[in-house]
Order: sequence, then C-alpha cells, then structure tokens
Amino acid sequence: MSQLVIKDQIPDEQYLTSGHLACPGCAGAMAMNLVLKALGPETVVVLPACCWSIIAGPWPQSSLKVPLYHTAFETGAAVASGVKAALEQRGDHDTTVMVWAGDGGTFDIGLQALSGAAERNEDILYCCYDNEAYMNTGVQRSSSTPWGAWTTTTPAAHPETHVKKDILSILAAHRIPYAATATVAFPADLVTKVEKAKAIRGMRFIHILAPCPPGWKTADEATVELARMAVRTRIFPLMEVEHGDRWCFTGEHPGDPVEPYIRKQGRFRHLNDDQIASIQDEVNARWEVLNRRVAYGG
Amino acid sequence: MKKVIMGNHAVSWGVKLARTEVISAYPITPQTQIVEELSEMCAARELDARFIKVESEHSAMAACIGASATGARAFTATSSQGLALMHELLHWAGGGRHPIVLANINRALGPGWNIWTDQNDSLSQRDTGWIQLYCETNQEVLDTTIQAFKLAEAVDLPVMIVLDAFFLSHTSEPVDIPTQEEVDAFLPRREARYKLDPAEPHAFGALVRPDAYMEMRWQQQEAMEAGRQAFDRVEAEWSELLGRAYGAVEAYRADDAELLLVTSGTITSTARHVVDERRANGEPVGLVKVKMFRPFPTEKLRELLAGVPCVAVLDRNVSPGHGGIFAEEIRSALYDVALEARPKIFGYVLGLGGRDVTPPVISEIIDRSLAAREPEREDLWVGVNP
Amino acid sequence: MPDDQKVTPPLRGIPPIAVSQTSTLVNHTGSWKYIRPQYRDRVAPCNVACPVGIDIEGYMNLLREGREEEARDLLLRENPMPAVTGRVCHHPCEDSCNRVQFDQPVAIHAVERTLGDMELDAPLPRPPGRTRQETVGIVGSGPAGLSCAYHLARLGYAVTVYEDGAEPGGMLRPGIPEYRLPRDVLDKQIARIEAQGVEIRCGMRVGDDPGWDQLGHDAVFIAAGAHRSRDAGMEGERVPGIERGLEFLKRVNAGERPDLLGKRVVVVGGGNTAMDCARTALRLGAEPLVLYRRGRAEMPAIPQEVEEADHEGVAFVYLAAPTASRSVNGRLVGLECTRMELGPPDESGRRRPMPTERGRFSVRADLVLTAIGEATDLDTLQSHVDSEAGGVRIGRLGTTSQAAVFAGGDVANEPRTVADALGSGKRAALGIDLYLRRMAGELSDESLAALRLGGGNVSMTRWRQDDPVRRATPANEVVSGEQMNLNYFEHAARHEDEHLDEVSATHAFDEANRGLSHDAALAEARRCLNCGVCNECELCLIFCPDLAISRRTDGGFEIDMNYCKGCGVCAAECPRGAITMTQEGL
Repeated sequence: MSQLVIKDQIPDEQYLTSGHLACPGCAGAMAMNLVLKALGPETVVVLPACCWSIIAGPWPQSSLKVPLYHTAFETGAAVASGVKAALEQRGDHDTTVMVWAGDGGTFDIGLQALSGAAERNEDILYCCYDNEAYMNTGVQRSSSTPWGAWTTTTPAAHPETHVKKDILSILAAHRIPYAATATVAFPADLVTKVEKAKAIRGMRFIHILAPCPPGWKTADEATVELARMAVRTRIFPLMEVEHGDRWCFTGEHPGDPVEPYIRKQGRFRHLNDDQIASIQDEVNARWEVLNRRVAYGG
Repeated sequence: MKKVIMGNHAVSWGVKLARTEVISAYPITPQTQIVEELSEMCAARELDARFIKVESEHSAMAACIGASATGARAFTATSSQGLALMHELLHWAGGGRHPIVLANINRALGPGWNIWTDQNDSLSQRDTGWIQLYCETNQEVLDTTIQAFKLAEAVDLPVMIVLDAFFLSHTSEPVDIPTQEEVDAFLPRREARYKLDPAEPHAFGALVRPDAYMEMRWQQQEAMEAGRQAFDRVEAEWSELLGRAYGAVEAYRADDAELLLVTSGTITSTARHVVDERRANGEPVGLVKVKMFRPFPTEKLRELLAGVPCVAVLDRNVSPGHGGIFAEEIRSALYDVALEARPKIFGYVLGLGGRDVTPPVISEIIDRSLAAREPEREDLWVGVNP
Repeated sequence: MPDDQKVTPPLRGIPPIAVSQTSTLVNHTGSWKYIRPQYRDRVAPCNVACPVGIDIEGYMNLLREGREEEARDLLLRENPMPAVTGRVCHHPCEDSCNRVQFDQPVAIHAVERTLGDMELDAPLPRPPGRTRQETVGIVGSGPAGLSCAYHLARLGYAVTVYEDGAEPGGMLRPGIPEYRLPRDVLDKQIARIEAQGVEIRCGMRVGDDPGWDQLGHDAVFIAAGAHRSRDAGMEGERVPGIERGLEFLKRVNAGERPDLLGKRVVVVGGGNTAMDCARTALRLGAEPLVLYRRGRAEMPAIPQEVEEADHEGVAFVYLAAPTASRSVNGRLVGLECTRMELGPPDESGRRRPMPTERGRFSVRADLVLTAIGEATDLDTLQSHVDSEAGGVRIGRLGTTSQAAVFAGGDVANEPRTVADALGSGKRAALGIDLYLRRMAGELSDESLAALRLGGGNVSMTRWRQDDPVRRATPANEVVSGEQMNLNYFEHAARHEDEHLDEVSATHAFDEANRGLSHDAALAEARRCLNCGVCNECELCLIFCPDLAISRRTDGGFEIDMNYCKGCGVCAAECPRGAITMTQEGL
C-alpha cells in the first residue's frame, strides 16, 4: 500500500502513553498502539502475564488510557468473559473487551480458556501478539516457536524441533465469527481488521506477529522489516477467516525466498542451507494448503 | 415461604435472592445441583444473571474475577478438585479484593477418587485471603449465602460458604425462604469502590514493588480483621429482619462444662444430640460450633474455651505431618491465655472421605478425652487400624 | 528504641489494591538510547543532476498535494523558461531518478513542460520591484544571457540584454527546429522574462563598437555563445551541396522551405544539431541519412531525439566518417567514407574512433549537412579577458580575469546544452549579485557548497533564503535508493509523451512531441518518490513504538527525546531517507 494512503487509515487518537517499558523497537508496543487506535476509548483490556505485564508499567502507573486488568497467565479469555458479562449486566453493550495476550498465554497455557471462550462465542476480542517464545522470562520456547529456532531452552546445538502451532486453524475450527492474522508492517491492514472485528458481535481472534529484537537476536530497527518479510515470504500470511470456513488472504504475498528472512535473525544463525531449504519446503507446502482453503473453504 | 429443599438448592435460592449478576461455574459432584438450579432460574428469567458455562473451575473463578472487577456481583460453586484447580485464582480474588461469593461443597480430594464429605478441600485454601463460613443446616446455608454477599462487599473480600457433601448438599430440609423484598431491603445493589470503567480508566494488578506490596497485604489483613465485626453486624441486621442468627462461633450447653466438643459443619448436629444425651445424664459436657474459620474467631474462642479443663476438637480434615486443622488453630489461639486457664486440647481426626461420624463415635471421643490425663499425641485418629 | 532506629513504612497513602494513579509518562525512557533519530532532509538525485539547479522534488511534492501554482512558482524560482526546457532539455534528472531502480523514472521533463505551459497561459506577472541601484548589461540573449538577466531582475537589478540578431533567443531560435520548440512557445517565454523587468535590445552588436565596457553598466555578463561551425575535415568540404547544418537550420527556421523531395540528405555528426538537421530534412521531403563516426551508444544527442528520428524514418550509419566529397559537373553526388572502429577512450571519456584500412565505401548524397559542433568566436574577447581551450576562462560563479566582467554559457565552454546554459547564467547572476554587494570575498567554499543542491547547481532559493517549502534540518547530501525504503511505493507505469502519429506534409513543422495531458502530468508527479524529503506520510509516527513522535502545528514532526529509545524504526521505515540516526552525545 502506498505510504501516503496509510496515514488516512490510522486514527489519530492515541491510547498508549510514552514511557512504557517495552524494549527498543518492540513490535508488541507498536501493535498495542495501533489496535487501541482502532478500538477507541470504549475499551477494556484484559492482560494475562506476558511482556506487556511489564510494558504497561508498574504500580502506580499505567501506560494505557483505557481500563486494564492484569490477570494470571492462563485466564485471559475467561476473565474477559466475566468482564463482558458484567458490562452487559450493567447496561453497557458497547464497550469492547479485549484480551491482549502473548503467544505463551495463547498457544500454551491460555489455550484451554481461549478455546472455552471461543466455543461459547463470547463477545470479546482476543488479540495475541506473537513474539514466538516466552520473551518476558528470557526467551524460552513456546509452542509458537518456529522450527529450527534457538531459544534458551532450545539451545543452538539442539534447536526447536517442532513446527509452530497453527493457532489460526485452531481458532477457525471453533467456527467463530472472525479470525485473522495481521502484523505491524501492514498497519492499515491491522487497523482495518481490528475495526472490522470491533463491529462484529461474538468471539473475534486476531493473531499479530510481533518481531522481538532481543528474542530474535535482531537489530532494533529491523522490527517492521522482519514483519514485512514474514508476510512477503508467506511465512506469516495475512488472512481472514469468517465462521471458520470462509478463508481469504489480505494484501500481497509475493513469495520472496525465506532465506534472507532466516539469515537476518540471530536465533537462526546455526541453520545450514539444507535446513533453510527445508523451511522453504514447509512454507511452500503450507501455502498450498492455505490456497486450497481459500479456494474451497475450510 | 417454607420449602423442603436440599442444601444445594438452598445455595441456589440464596444466589437468586441476592440478585447475583454474573454466575460462572463448572460441573462437579456434589455441587452440580447448585448450578443446575441456577441455570433453570436463569432460563426461566427468575434470575437476571449472565451464566457463563466455562470449561473449567479455573476459568469459572477467572470469569468471576473479571465480573467482580467490573463492579458486578459474582458467584460460583465448586468442590474438591475444582476448588483445588481454582487455587491460583483464589489468591487473585483475595489479593484483588474482589467480593466474590463461592459455595464449596466439602468433598475429599483424590486419589483415590472420593466424592464424600471432607474439609480438606476448603481448608487447603486457608491462606488465599478468603473469608470461610461453615454451615450446619440448609436454613443456615440459605441465610449465609445471602449474608455472604453483604459481608464480602462490606470489606471487599471474597467469601467462601462451605457445606458438607451429601449430608447437606443432597439432604432435604425445610427452609424458610425470605421474600425478595426482604432480601432487597437487606442487600442493596453492589456499588464497587473500584471497577473497570472506560469513563474512569485505571489499571489493576500491575507489578507492585516490595515496599507497596507489603502495605497492600497489610490492608488485606486489616480487612480480614474488620471482617469479624462486619460479620456480626451483617448477622445482627439479618436477625432483626428475619429473626435468625448463627454466630461466628456458637456455644451450645457450654456453661460449666468440664469438656467442650469443638465442631464445624454437619458433625455439629450429631454432636448436639450427644451433648443433649450427656447433659440428660448430668454430665457437664457442652459444644462449641465454629462457623467462621477465616478470619479466625480467636477472641471468641478464647472467651469460650479458656478455663475449660478439656476441649475435644473434631476435625474432618488433616494436615498431613501435623494434625487436624481446627485443632491446630485452636491450640494456637489458646496459647496466650494464662497457663492455669489453658485447657487440655484433644485433636481428633475423623470422618475423612465421608466416613460416618455417628453418636457412638462422638460419645467414645468424650469418654476417651475425659479419661486421659493428657493427649497421647497431637493428632488422635479415630477408628483407624493400629 | 531511639526514634531514628525505628522502622517506618516507606510509603504513605497506598490503596488496598494495585490500582493505577499515574501514567508511564513519569518514566523518561529516552535515557535508554545511545543513538537518536533526526529529521534531516536530504537532496533528491534529480535536483543534483539538474544543470539548472531546480528543486524538482519540491515541485513534484507540491503538485501531488494539488498546489499547482505553488509548484509552478517553485520551478520558476530557478528556471526562467520551463516551457522551453520541458521540451528540449536532455533531462539528466531522469537518468538519476531513484525510481529507475524500482520501475521507470518519473517523466520529469513532461511535468516541467506542463508547469511551463501553465505559466505561459497565465497573466503576465508583475515585475519584481527594483531594489538595487546598480545596472547590469548582458551580451547575448541565449539561454545563458536570459537566465542571468532573469535572476538579476528578480534580485532587484535593472538589466539590459544586447542581442545582435533581430530577435532574442540566441541559439534557441535558429538552433532548434520548430517541430521541437514552437516559435510561439519561445516568444511567450521570452516575453515573460521581459515582464520581469528585463530590457532586451535587438539588432545591437556589442563588441568593438560599442565595446561592452562602454555600455555604462556596473557589471557585464558575456554570453555571446558559440556560432562558428567546425569543419568535418573531409576533402572537398567547400563545394556546392555541402552546407553547415546550423546554417541550414537557420534558413528553415527563418521560414525557408527548400524542396528536398526525394533527395538523399546526408547529415554528418551525432549531436542534437545533427538530429535536428535530419528530421528537418525529412519534413522537407528528403531521405535523410545520419553518418556518425562512433556507435549509437556514444551519440551525444538526447536519446529521445535519436529514437524519434529513427521512428520518423531517418537512416543511420554508425562507425563511419566522410573522407571526401564526390561531385559531377559541379553537382554533389556523394561522399567517400571510411569504416571506423572504437579505440581507447579519449579526453571526453568516450572511445576514440579510429579509421580502419579495409572499410571504404561511398554513399549517394544530394545534400550534405555537417553538424560537427560550433566553436566560440574569441576574436574581440581575447584582448580583454583570459581564455582557455577556445573559451573564456571563468570562475565558479562566472567571474573572469577582469573585475565587473562575467561570462557564461557556450562562450565560456560550459557544456553545450540549454540546461547548462541556464545554469551557467544563474551562477553568474549570483556572482554578479555578490560582486555588486561587495560580498564576493565573503563567500567561503562551505557557504558556496551550501548553496549547491547536494553538489549540483546553486539554488536561488537558498541564496535568497526564502524557501516557501518547510524543511526539516537540511542535510545537503544526495539520497541514494539504498537509503530509502522502497517497500512503501507501488509500481506504476511511466506516462510516455504523446507524439504526432506521423509526419504529414501539411503539418510537417507542427510540434512532434505533444507532451502529457494535465492529468497524466499530475499522475507522473504522484509517481515521484520525494527522495530524501519528508512529505509527512506519517509512517514514523505510526510505527514509533514509544509514541515519541508528534505532529508539529507548523508542519513536520518533532521527537520527544525524553521518550525516544533510539530504536531506529522510524529511520529504517522512512520511505524516503529523511530521517538519520546519529550517535547520542555527538
């Protein structure tokens, strides 16, 4: 998308304040900023344990200008269900209740509560900002960590042996009204999806890829570039799924080779050419699967 | 209105009359009838509550926390394994000062599987910051359920009402059900001091450094202290309205007693029967029923137990490696009384996993206690093989 | 226990729960950084490449914003004749366009032409006020002279231009055929220069009498051009049927229409004059053939002109040079030629053509036009000012060996293009302004460098310090494509000029290149990447994870260094390289 069109699609008001405690170049902070811009002030954020537990600021601070509830790691979707129920009971039918969880709180420990909320079609928006490992505790692998990646619990001598969990398909399988992927490199796409999600009643899920400079061992300024490469290489396609069966791509996925993306990251430094080729094969195969879903429904 | 209902349904009625706004629960025997009845009430629009049928007790408590944090009146019910699964979030509700009411049906924890009554589930949650109230009858269950909301909201602490599996949960008794008007007069709509409100945005539960963390825990402790008086006020108000009161601690025929039994839950009813028999024989035996376990009614127990020669505590629970939990708490409470007034305390562990505690069992305990000069050991297990 | 040993609570007024009371603004997280971003506008390579020194990027950006008149005025600050250059400039700007790496360069010439034509149709501007007492005389009304006159008039001087021909325009008039530069365009353009308060006196040859030192001006600018045609160097060059190409063009441009129907016209040379001769001959019915001693790639003519000539039907013979003419009964019949090959590069950097032994051939010719280039007529000048290599020796701002005398354009051996002449005249105007303000000695190398657009020509706007375009801290360095982030641009095909379908006999001298429609020109302006210059796309603000960037009320952005953590995402993502990261504390 042309640079000069992007700004027209990003609302001006900000609901995140400076002085938050994200690392330099944090995509999680960028994403929160953009998502809240799209949601506006009538929002309650439920925040299970994740990097954002720190980024939000220690007591007595808050870096958000909307209400925020810090909660236990595995409870995001459940607490949000309760918040929404209470708002409804008190006559507030407009406020968006958003869970803002990391990949650990979504793919791993919070999956049960998330599945429950999804199955109940709770009227909440669940955003997972995915930095592909437990970054706040010092880069341990999660089920979102991609194959071949170094983390402190998958050392370079024995890196991650499983492919990243397909969380979008898991959510789609719950037949929720709306599930999507997005990332910070395409802010208009992200904001559009959040705005769309905001207008939908029922369970909404947005999976936001959030490159992490310290955890991915990349330069601070490369965050957006990496997110863009992840999309262009089809490693992280931008998608929407409605009611679990209407799949579509949003934006361009030219299929750039994965190698520059992999080589740009210190967490993959130990991989040899054959291993990178196998990642390419996996991406290619996955792309075929997604195209079939787009063509024939999921 | 008098109705013959089970203890579980007494809870449901209390929750309904309290105009609970959000209910979230997960099925577990022997609690299930509570939420079944509440589901029926919601479906029939007799109760205008959102019932979130979650996928686990953990999420049930989480949903209650979310609802309570948003200013609503929230309720859940569970038992045994379910309560254990909630453990982390019981702390969250306590530390977050969310006035949630939870009905726990006392049931033994596995393994092996056991669905019968046992207090270990609720007593394991002793340090989570919850007020705990143990009930003896279905009437008390209903009354306490309604009072629990008022008490919780008065001191911003969650309240657990506890009743024995089957002996109360599934046993029908006549219960006088107050009218909605009576309950409304007693329990107004909740007005939260803090809540998640876009009009007044705050963050709750952020990282707290050691200096402030301890201040917050101190205030939690003070709220628990305040809870003792608050309980008395709430009960006095209830009593004025409906003429029923139970007390945080109840003394039954305790005057001039040489031996006082200390009980909680339904064992109390059995013990009352035994005490009546012994008094009929002219024996100076009485009973103290402990309803409130947290905050612990230390002062009241000292007043009742100091100077009594012999105290026999009946614990349907055990802290492995130590002893019956009520007994340990009472020993601790009485340590500070003058040595000559300090009773001999016999701590009996009995009835675990729902084993029947019959009048002969209690009678034997009385005799054994009176006969002994000192307890043989801290934990006196009743009816186990040597 | 003494009071001072009592443990007192460290905090007062703690709420019962961790409920927030303040924002995170109390945390000055900007202290974490070791590098900091800075908005530093760089210079687009087109601006650097433009011999005139036009802020091309600037007017493209204004056009994109729909501010057409401001765009035109920005262009007119540097270029007195955009309607002319938009048609005839060799536009090196487009070769340097960063869009070349992306798809195709922006059609800058066509946008300039559109803006120039907009100006021609507008009411005449009010002349700038005369704020200086001094007067300046300018010898020659070609692009160099008119450019110098225009800029000096706008700087407040009274300027008189002396032209020995009957009409002003210098080589623009005879040298460029009408089908490339319609006379009315030229006339209107010159009229607008006159409207700036420039007096043009035609039919007045300045040289021996009156000498240019006798005109009574405080300073003089000599831009007399180069009019002496060079010989092709073949045997029998002075025979009937062999004419100098420039003379031929002059005749035709003056209205003569020699009948060349079916005649073979051989044009010797590979420059723009050669192309003009060939295409003019074609329009007169001839079958033109261009004979050039190097290859097509080495031709000095504007490639577009070569393409158009090719397209119109001009034949080309490369690597060939005439050695002698052949005449029968006093009538030219052909040329003897030799095949050439390219040897090592000569002083011009191009490979030197060398004759080969074997390749002799002849071509039929009814008329031969030589277009080898023109030399300066230094006869009267040499006694007054120093010269070198056949031209007047000048300094960086047109100064000569004599005070108050300045020179530029072809006479001073500046590159022989309209744009270079315009640029040369502008430099001299600046030099004359400095001289008349007695400031010549005060312009340091650094100050002069700062006036140059990234090392290109000087900018009158910078000299006048009245830039109408808001700029972040300017860094006078050219921005490369690598310093930009091209991910934010969409591929878009370049709009190509429209041409007359074919050269018809009845409209032979109608303008061949019709330029772009207004809409197409605006679309081209939107293709501009605005290299190096912030155009407030706001990506920096959108991406800043620390919300340290905010809009300024007067345009542009500011960075709150209390919160900027120095991550560098703004600089990395800036599509146009207008943000630079610098070491903290330096």
